[in-house]
Amino acid sequence: MNLRYLGKELYHRKRRALTAVFSLAVGIAILITINALSKAYNEAARMPLKEIDTDMIVQRAGNVPENLVGPVFACSAVTIKKNEVDQIRRLQGIQGFGQALLLWVFDEERFTIVLGFDPENPVGPGTLRSQVTQGRFLEKGKNQALAEVSYAKNYNIQIGDKVTVGGKVYQISGIVDASRATKIAVANIYLDMDDAQKMAKESKQVQNVSPFESKDANILFIKANPKQIDTLARSIKGIMGEKISIATSASFLKHLGSLFALSDKFSLATSLIALVITILIVLKTMAGNLAERENEIGILKAVGWSNKDVVIQLSGESIIQCLAGGILGLIFSLVAASLLGLIQVNIPIPWEMSPTPHFLPGGGDPVFKTLQLPVTISWRLAAFSIILSTTIGAVTGGLLSRHISRIKPSEVLKNE
Amino acid sequence: MNNILTAANLNKRFDDLQVVKDVSLTIKKGEFMGLVGKSGSGKTTLLSILSGLEQPTSGTVSINGTLITDASENELAVFRREKLGFVFQSFHLIPTLSAWENVALPLFPIKMDNEIRKKRAMKLLSQMEIDHRAEHRPSTLSGGEKQRVAIARALVNHPEIIFADEPTGNLDSETSGAIMNILKHLHKENGLSILMVTHDQDLAASIDRIIRMKDGKVVS
Repeated sequence: MNLRYLGKELYHRKRRALTAVFSLAVGIAILITINALSKAYNEAARMPLKEIDTDMIVQRAGNVPENLVGPVFACSAVTIKKNEVDQIRRLQGIQGFGQALLLWVFDEERFTIVLGFDPENPVGPGTLRSQVTQGRFLEKGKNQALAEVSYAKNYNIQIGDKVTVGGKVYQISGIVDASRATKIAVANIYLDMDDAQKMAKESKQVQNVSPFESKDANILFIKANPKQIDTLARSIKGIMGEKISIATSASFLKHLGSLFALSDKFSLATSLIALVITILIVLKTMAGNLAERENEIGILKAVGWSNKDVVIQLSGESIIQCLAGGILGLIFSLVAASLLGLIQVNIPIPWEMSPTPHFLPGGGDPVFKTLQLPVTISWRLAAFSIILSTTIGAVTGGLLSRHISRIKPSEVLKNE
Repeated sequence: MNNILTAANLNKRFDDLQVVKDVSLTIKKGEFMGLVGKSGSGKTTLLSILSGLEQPTSGTVSINGTLITDASENELAVFRREKLGFVFQSFHLIPTLSAWENVALPLFPIKMDNEIRKKRAMKLLSQMEIDHRAEHRPSTLSGGEKQRVAIARALVNHPEIIFADEPTGNLDSETSGAIMNILKHLHKENGLSILMVTHDQDLAASIDRIIRMKDGKVVS
């Protein structure tokens, strides 16, 4: 391949070369952007769970409390028995496991959302450890409580204060800003799991609606191998029955409702269509270009270029144009990604995962996790698109130049 | 004098039309031979066959002992590059390349330092007295200059024979004379064998030997 000749061809036939480069650039940009957008929606759907270092949240639906007095269960989170917890914990594919207990506590002077969890377990609400704004995190067996920052402000709660919840007194060890972490597992007061379990066991309202033993729970937080989440969900349903809700990134994705979020198949289909159209445009442009150059190819062959020499030269031109198209397409898609990254998405949190009772003011309002669409173009996608465009150049250039290299110089030269 | 080209019983048929009919001829080393005839007499087709640009329907052509009618397409390409030079009526220069690059075009597929290619091309352009136009593209050259570039290109690979198809056909009489002088000079000074197709009787008069064609046959 003669690079000087190649360079001059591309430079002096700018319109032709630019048409090919831009056609491919647009196709590649569409391909990359669709994939980046699809990935961004998937990533956004993972955020609510990612923030509490969890892949699945399991709850069981039950009956509504008979009387709103003292500690009660929300109807979306009733008892998960210890034996069920133990069976689930042993399932293959589980990489981390946490359990919690959500209680609504109706005391005479105030209503409190209480979440009990194991402060030493990093999965689930244990991630709040990094959100402590004052004081220190919970310690097991010390009768302590964490107060959520807005709740503490409302009731003027300070570190070291004693609060009474469900008739029991706890000392506030720290203030935590749960709003920074997630919309899931937000409570007013956080307790050690043992204390919360004791409170639930002693509550008549809880026992009337959903019998509860001292080691039971009502929310499970599971970290799992992403490839096994669907299998795990089926196994959990097998253990707990159908009346459960399992929140995964896929369920959040469904709530998002965007075309890009609906399925990977949509992205794949659109990408394939973009790819096929791109290849056809490149083929048409290159074929047109080569047809215009029949005479030139005849000259090359007359002065002693072999078919192979012609194929190498023309394929080289095609590869360089497509490589430039791929790079330009990547630049276009980087610009598109940075613009799309300005879009804010509201991820609806399913009502059953919202800890606030629906009958309280504002409790029935839809809850959203709002975030900027994390549109990024991975090195892998960038490298793939460059390799793809180069391959398109090699294949189209190779096929077309092989065909045109067979022309007889005498035929094209005598027509002049 | 040895023959550089020997053609025997050449026939060429395009569908129902026979354009070359049982032509046999020889060209001696260092000979300047003219192929004349009216338009449509088959002279360009015969030149294409003799130079390996076209395969005959039947018959043989050998150049300096190599039977080119038996050669594959790629063997012929290499043979043309190494042994033959071509000058066409329409110049057939590559529009995107400069004059010197056009001259060096047959050398592009050969692994060679670009400076050497340029040096060889520049030497020939200097011989053709257009080295000052070396960096110009064909669109900025006059007809005579284009043909000089084409002749330089035909010489760049030190050919054994040059095939010229109406090399003055697109030129005015003054420029035609100049181009003919160059070809004659190359023949006389360098001992080059040349086969030139022309229909210009005046030009043909100054050539060593003339073959006349009519209706695909050699008539004299």
